[in-house]
Order: sequence, then structure tokens, then C-alpha cells
Amino acid sequence: MQYLNLTIDDIRKALDNKEVTSDELFNEAIKKANYYQKDYNSFVTILDNYEKVESNSILNGVCYALKDNISTKKILTTASSNILKDYVPVYDATVYKKLKESGAVLVGKTVMDELAMGGSGTTGHTGIVRNPWDITRQIGGSSAGSAAAVALGIVPFAIGSDTGDSIRKPASYSGVVGFKPTYGRISRYGLFPFASSLDHLGCFTRCVKDAAYVIDVIKGHDDKDMTSLNDDNKEYSKSLDNDIKGRKLFYIKEALECDDNNSELKEIINNFKQTIEKCRSIGFEVDEISIDNKLLEALYPTYMVISCAEATSNNANLTGISFGPRPLEKNVNDLIFKARTTGFSELIKRRFILGSYILQKENQEKLFLNACRVRRLIVDTINKLFDKYDGYIMPSMSSIAVKFDEKENQVSNKNFAIEHLLLIANFGGMPSISFPCGIVNNMPISINMTSGAKNDELLLNMAYKVEEVLGYKGINRGDDNV
Amino acid sequence: MYKAVIGLEVHVELKTASKNFSTAVNGNSQTHNSNISEIDLGYPGILPTVNKEAVKKSLKVALALNCKIPEYLIFDRKNYFYPDLPKGYQITQLHHPIGTDGYLMINTKDTVKKVLIHDTHLEEDTANIEHLSNYSLIDYNRAGIPLLETVTEPCLNSSDEAIAFLEALRSLFLYCSVADARSDLGQIRCDVNVSLMRENDKELGTRVEMKGVNSFAAVKSAIECEIRRQTEILDRGGEVLQETRRYDEVADETYLMRSKVDAIDYKYYIEPNIPPIKIEKEFIEAVKKEIPLLQYERINNYTNNYNLTKVEALTLVKEKELSDYFDEMVKVGIEPKIACNWLAGFILGYLNKNYLSIIDIKITPKMLKDLIELLDGGKISIKQMKEVLTKALKENKDPNILIKELNISQITDDEEIKNIVNEVLDENLNLVSDYKAGKRVFDFIIGQIMKKTKGRVNPAMTSKILKEELEKR
Amino acid sequence: MIKKEKLQEYAKKLMFDMKDEEYETLAKEFEIITKKMDIIGEIDNLDQIQPMTFPFPLENVSLREDVASNTINIEDIKVNAKELENDQVKIPKVVE
Repeated sequence: MQYLNLTIDDIRKALDNKEVTSDELFNEAIKKANYYQKDYNSFVTILDNYEKVESNSILNGVCYALKDNISTKKILTTASSNILKDYVPVYDATVYKKLKESGAVLVGKTVMDELAMGGSGTTGHTGIVRNPWDITRQIGGSSAGSAAAVALGIVPFAIGSDTGDSIRKPASYSGVVGFKPTYGRISRYGLFPFASSLDHLGCFTRCVKDAAYVIDVIKGHDDKDMTSLNDDNKEYSKSLDNDIKGRKLFYIKEALECDDNNSELKEIINNFKQTIEKCRSIGFEVDEISIDNKLLEALYPTYMVISCAEATSNNANLTGISFGPRPLEKNVNDLIFKARTTGFSELIKRRFILGSYILQKENQEKLFLNACRVRRLIVDTINKLFDKYDGYIMPSMSSIAVKFDEKENQVSNKNFAIEHLLLIANFGGMPSISFPCGIVNNMPISINMTSGAKNDELLLNMAYKVEEVLGYKGINRGDDNV
Repeated sequence: MYKAVIGLEVHVELKTASKNFSTAVNGNSQTHNSNISEIDLGYPGILPTVNKEAVKKSLKVALALNCKIPEYLIFDRKNYFYPDLPKGYQITQLHHPIGTDGYLMINTKDTVKKVLIHDTHLEEDTANIEHLSNYSLIDYNRAGIPLLETVTEPCLNSSDEAIAFLEALRSLFLYCSVADARSDLGQIRCDVNVSLMRENDKELGTRVEMKGVNSFAAVKSAIECEIRRQTEILDRGGEVLQETRRYDEVADETYLMRSKVDAIDYKYYIEPNIPPIKIEKEFIEAVKKEIPLLQYERINNYTNNYNLTKVEALTLVKEKELSDYFDEMVKVGIEPKIACNWLAGFILGYLNKNYLSIIDIKITPKMLKDLIELLDGGKISIKQMKEVLTKALKENKDPNILIKELNISQITDDEEIKNIVNEVLDENLNLVSDYKAGKRVFDFIIGQIMKKTKGRVNPAMTSKILKEELEKR
Repeated sequence: MIKKEKLQEYAKKLMFDMKDEEYETLAKEFEIITKKMDIIGEIDNLDQIQPMTFPFPLENVSLREDVASNTINIEDIKVNAKELENDQVKIPKVVE
């Protein structure tokens, strides 16, 4: 009997009924993690022991994985970058501390795109992460390993971070639930920053309910993070079944105007139309609204500008002085130069140069500040709609998981794609969830729902209901015969 | 002749329990890397939290400098690489300093001057690097200590004015008890910029900046040195270049550090981990109430209302505690001039000789008042007053108790003196007969009385009573 | 197209270097990005909008009370610092 591909409710039941012990669960997870490691490469580090904790939490004894950009004392944390390949943190991230206190059992640290800057799962220093549904395809990133670990049934949940789409994209590509709550709902203390004003923590699970369970444990105000929200004193998992009749959703018309030659996209859009109908069938009101194309086209450049600018500064601590590589050099400038030249991959360097260019005195007004202005325009536009609507619903991605293709990591020439809409939730700190809604070409596709900031409870409630009616809850491509 | 135009940037470490953005101890530890947190080391994933006390103290200075206070507290990042900067950026305030457009009135040698303050802003100190011949060592104890940087407009015109400003500013820090500002411990440091212009010039000359000048004396010589250098260049018909120079105290020369083309673009942008925090009116008012009268105002008060000389006033305000003590003396009723004489003349002399401060002594202004009353009432002599005061300072005791303990108060009670006089006369009946016989023994009898009372009887009264008592016999 | 020398100058200020062909990729990327940024510039009345630097206004943010406690010690530094002397982190000579 296997347990780790079950939902948290079922695992809890098995633990409480003493069908299985947490030791056995841990061993099952380790065994699976090692078994899949060669083909899928989910982990940077797989642990070999854990500490038992007294706790009444639903997560006590339940295994999970952490993205390798979350600070774990005494456990190697690399952010999948050569510049941190030997870095062992001396303090715990708040999210890890909370999970530890709940008794959840850490199985390993997952592979990601280097420093979380990338969306392919191919740029980590320990190799590419492959898609459990099709080994020739990407899983997407940057939280690639966390998505894979859940999709493969190694763990029932994993923690990731999401700056543009880094949880929701790999979740969509691998047929699992990916949720990032409101900005500040989960403390960022100990999350290696990419772009601080866009960075969110969140989770991967196999159903919406599990996401609620996990967030219930890891959310909350943290004195160490000045941007963390006051406690909302709610248990999201308790209100999932609330009545949603009369709840109002919208979708963006322009985003669905695809070119007819793309049959895959056509299928995705057809699926979406069916999804809308199903939503209506259970009591949602769904409206089509229109948004200025200029704003939609501005989404991606705005994201690039802001995220690259913040990233350049956020990673300026990676110099090899008090941690990181220490090449032997005669003077300290040469040391820093060499540590950074050899420590970062090409993609990272390109982003840094771009970011630094954007922040230069002569460019800052035109590039950085204008992007910040467009960010406000976009967020204000959506927030105005949220006065009337409880959320919006869109396909998560415009395609199924893409095949490995090196071009993926370069800036694309396309002005707009459906997945750019995922950025809105980062701009506005809105809770946003992606979950499976169908199968196209034997690959999972996914729907995204996003609500106004701080409306996490309502969003989970609505997503739970939609998940129920769609019937793709817990689809799993994991090989169950390990 | 050229006119020098000088601007100063003064960094002072604020006195708080913890650092500006972390909880690590803000202290002067002899043990390397002992006052630290993961935040000060700039490890991946750390976030800053703003120290309330540091904000309060900065605000206090901003208000004392008559600055405008912004609506929100906002921080920026200053990005540059240097091994003493663990995060690769310094959290500071460029766009919204805690105080802007202020001024500080200062007393120069012979006049007063309003020094314009461009801004004062809160930031963090860097780690300390010990430079050895072939390598360097980093100690992170200093990293993250709250640092307040006060920037003047280029409005000072001589090294003396610059020093007068620095002294006034340091005194402001001490008066507001926001910093110890000891330059020997590196708690106060200056960047100095100097430019020269001809008398009739409308525009400022090209400015040259000198970074990290450590003592006030060095600021003075650095300015003078730079004025000399620029004068020479201009006299030669040359052009002063905009650059950053380093002042070498030993050689008394400045050296080029970097020229304008190499100026660093710090790529300032808002610190994304610290949300703007509203600076509430109530908070400002509460802080305002804690600001004491400053040097300049006290000097005016002393010279205008108390008729002290400027020299006397300057002596009293040198230290806030001394000035507070003086004010208290006046408040309990001692005449200001007399209070000043005793405090600035007598007590301060003793303190200076013994390396003490006014806060070290237990004698209160009230005690002094009682003592001065005794003196005024003729109950003690000025010599006795000085003796008692010295002893009281030495032993840190109430002088009025000492007077009783030592029996050195004058006996001024008629009856008591009468009794003593008669006692002496009874013991020396031969002297009484000598007196009656017209012999000149009066002074000798006084001497006997003085001897018996160890000189405590009031001489004038004794003389009068003795005459009366002798007549009675 | 932006010159390689310019890009290299930027890279050096960020304390790293890249290979020639990597600069070429970057130069192309700059071209695309600059074009995309023009999309931003085409939006009307941008200058009247306050730049957004936080996802939403954060209310009730409080300052930290000034209570001191050291959270790590020299042993923690030793975990990652490669070389120490006299409990200080040893680095090669610092040059201006």
C-alpha cells in the first residue's frame, strides 16, 4: 500500500488509525525520491532523517519538500546556483519553522531554475527537471522540482515560490494544484529573494483542500517580515464548502482571441468554454469583459523590467566574501569578480545586466519607474473589476508543457500570451490558484482563478467548488509501483 | 582672493540597544563578530525590520534641526560593491529623508550664523575592515548600526566655521541624547566638500569632496589644505576638477581617489521590504516634547536674561548636564550671577582637575542654595564655604550635613554666645579684674573664646556680647 | 544595436564577465526588450501615475521595539566563511 499519492486527509486518517507510521511514510518518500531522481531530478538534497515533533496539526507526520531557495539551518540550500553550491544556512526561514513546529516531515530540497529566475526547470546547477507526464517535456519553473515531487507522488505537498508564475506554471504543466496566497500572507523571511515586491511563497498539492490545509499552517503575521499581513484568524480549510451561488467571475475576452492555426490552443480554449459552462451550472455568474490590449501587451515587459531590476540588487550579496565560493585571488575585487563570473550562469548574468541597465540613473525614469506606473495601471484596472467580481478565471497556460528547447530561456518575441495574465496576481499581490481542468494531447491543462488581495478564503472556496465540478481532482501520472 | 564654500556630511552612530534593521546588539564590543545576526551578514533570505528607537532619535534630530518631516518613513537602497557592505547595498534614505530643509544656529568666534541643513537621513553602518599588508580582516559588529547622516548646504566659509558647526551639531546630539558622538571611537565621521569662488562670482566653483575624515581637527586641516591646493591651481590659471580626494593627516595633503568620470551610479531605488510607514502627528509631537533647549537658545537666555557674559554662558552650555544644573540652581532661587560663579568658577574647576563630570557629584542645587544662604546670613565664612564645598565634593556628601558633623557652622545665637562668654570669664576671673583695671586684655579674651569654640562664634556678635558681659561684672 | 563594449562595461560594474557569444545573445535580447519597453511608453498619461512599488498599501505596519538579542555567533560564521583569523573573516587585500 502506498500513501504518499493520497490526499492529506487520507494520509492523516491512515496515521491516526495506525495503518502506517510517520517513519514508514518517511521511508516511502525517501525510497520514491531516490527512485525517480535519475529520470526526473526533483531534488538537490534528499534527507536521511527527521525529528519527531509533538503537535496536533493535520500535517504532523506528513512528508513534504521545500524549494531550495528556502533557508534551512544546517541543510544545504543552493537556490540551484553554483554560487551557492556549498552554502549551508545558519537560520531557518519562517515557513520552514512553522512546518517544523507542525510536525510535517521534510524529505528534501527541490531543484529550481537558478535563483528562481527562469520558467523552464532547465537552469538549475544540478541539471534539468523533467515532466512526470512526458519525459521529453519541460515541467516549467522555477519551482520545477517541487511540482515534480508532488506530481510523482513522492510527497503530498511541496513549498514553492512564485514571482511571475513560478508555482502556477509548473503546477499547470504537471497536473497538480499550485496556489500562492496574498502577498504577505506567508512570511518571506528566509526566502532567497528574486524580486521582493513580486515574490510570494505558496504550495503544490494534489487537491484544493490540501492547499488550504497547508496554507492554514504556514500563513500568519511574522515580526521578521515588515510586509507580512496581520493574521486574518481564519481557517481556509473550514470554509471550502461554503455556498458559491451568485458568486461572480469574469474572464478576459482579448486573451482568448487566438490564431486559428494553433490547434492545441484551440483545444485549450474549447476546454475553457466548457469549464465556464460548468461553473455556471453550479451557480457562478461568469461575465466576459474587455481589457485594453495595450495593457495586456505591457504585462510581460513590465514584469521583466521590475523583476530584473530588483533581482540585480537582491543578489548583490553573492560575492564569495563570507559565504559562497572563494577562488584564490590576490585582491578582493578579483575574488568577487571570479566568484560571480563562475558562480552565475549566462541567463542570470543577462538578467542582471538588464536589471542594472534599467536602474541606471539615466534610464530609471523611463524604464523602471514607467514600468512601476504601468504596474499600477494594470492592478488598478483589475482591482476595479474586483469591486464587482469575486475573481477571474482564465486558462493558466496557452499550451501544454513544452518540449525541451533551449530558446525557451531567451526573451520571447511574442507580445502577449495567456500565461502573461498570471503576472497580474504578482503585480497586485492577489491570491491565485491553478488546478487541472482537462487533458490535451495526453498532457494535463489547467485553469487559473485569481481574487482580490486578502480574499484567500473566498478564492479557495470557489476553486474547491470548481475543482469538484470539473472532475480532474488528483489526476496523477506518478508510477505507483515503486 | 577667493571665497571658500564648504559643505559637510556628518555621519553619527545613534545610541540604541539594537541595530537599525536587526536585533543584534549595537555596542562597542572588543570581541570580534560577537554582536551579529544573520541580517548583518547579509545571508540570503534575510529581511530588515526598522528599529523604532532609531527612527525616534533621527526624528528628534530632524526636529531639533528645524527640518520638515515627511508624511511617510521611506527607505531606499544604495547599490554598490565593497567588502564591508554585506548585502551589496546599503539601506538609506535618498528620496524621502526623515528631515529636510532645516537649519542650525551656531555661535562662531565673533558672530552667529544660520547654517542651512539640506537633509538628515537614517541609514546603516558598514562592517569594519582591518587592512593588513597582504590581506584584510572583516568584523561585522559595526554592520547595521544605525547611522544618521546630516548634510549641510554649501554655506560655510571657513574651516573655523566648519568646526563651530561640527561642535554645535555634536552638542545637539549630546543635548538630545541620541548619540555619544565620540570621534576617537569612530562614532562621528565627516565627508567634506570644498570649492572656491572669486568675490564677485555668482556661481559656486567646482567642488572637491573628501571622504571619511575622522576627527574635527582633521576636518579643519583638511579644509585648509584643500583651500591651499585649489588656490594654487586657480592662481596658476588652472582648473579645479570635480573629484573625490582622500586627506592624509600625517602628510597634510589630499590625494585623488576618483575623478568625476568614475563616479559611481548607486542605482538608488525604494527598499522593497520596508513598506512606507506613516509618521503620525502624535509621534512627532511626543518626540518634540523631549527636545531640550539647545546650546544656542541657552546662551541667549543666559546673556539676555541673566546678564552673564558670553564667555560665562559658553562655559555653562558646553555640557548639557552642567547647563541643566545651572538652570536648576537658578530655579531653586540662587541669583544667576552667583550661581554661575560657584558652578563655573569653583565646582567646575574641581571637576576638571579630577576628570569628573557634573553628573558624578551628589551635591544638589538645593544643597548649594542652603549653603549660600548660610554664607549670606553670615553663618559661615567664605573660607569655610570653600572648605566645606571641597570636602563635600571629595567625599560626595551633603555639605550641610558636613557643616554639622564638623561643627563648623558659626554660633550666632545671642544666648549661646552669652553662655560661652560667661563660661570663659568664669574660668579667667583674673582677666576680668585686669580688664576692670584698664589693662588691654579684651582681644586676648576674644582669643580664648575663639579657641574654646574652635572659631565658630560670630566675631562681631562675640565682641559686642563680651563688652556687655564685662560691663555687668 | 547596443555595443558589446557597453554591455561589458555594465557587466564589470556588476563584478562579472561573460563570453563573447553570450554578449551577442544579450545584445539581441536588449533589442527585443527595448522594443517591448516601447509598448510601456506608448501608454497614455503615464507621467500622471504614481509608480507602484508595493502590491497594495500595507496598513498597520509597526516599527520594531528596540530590544537587543544577537541571533548568531562566530561559530555560525565559520560554517560558511572559508578562512578566519582572530575571529574575523579573512579576505585578500582590499584595493580601491
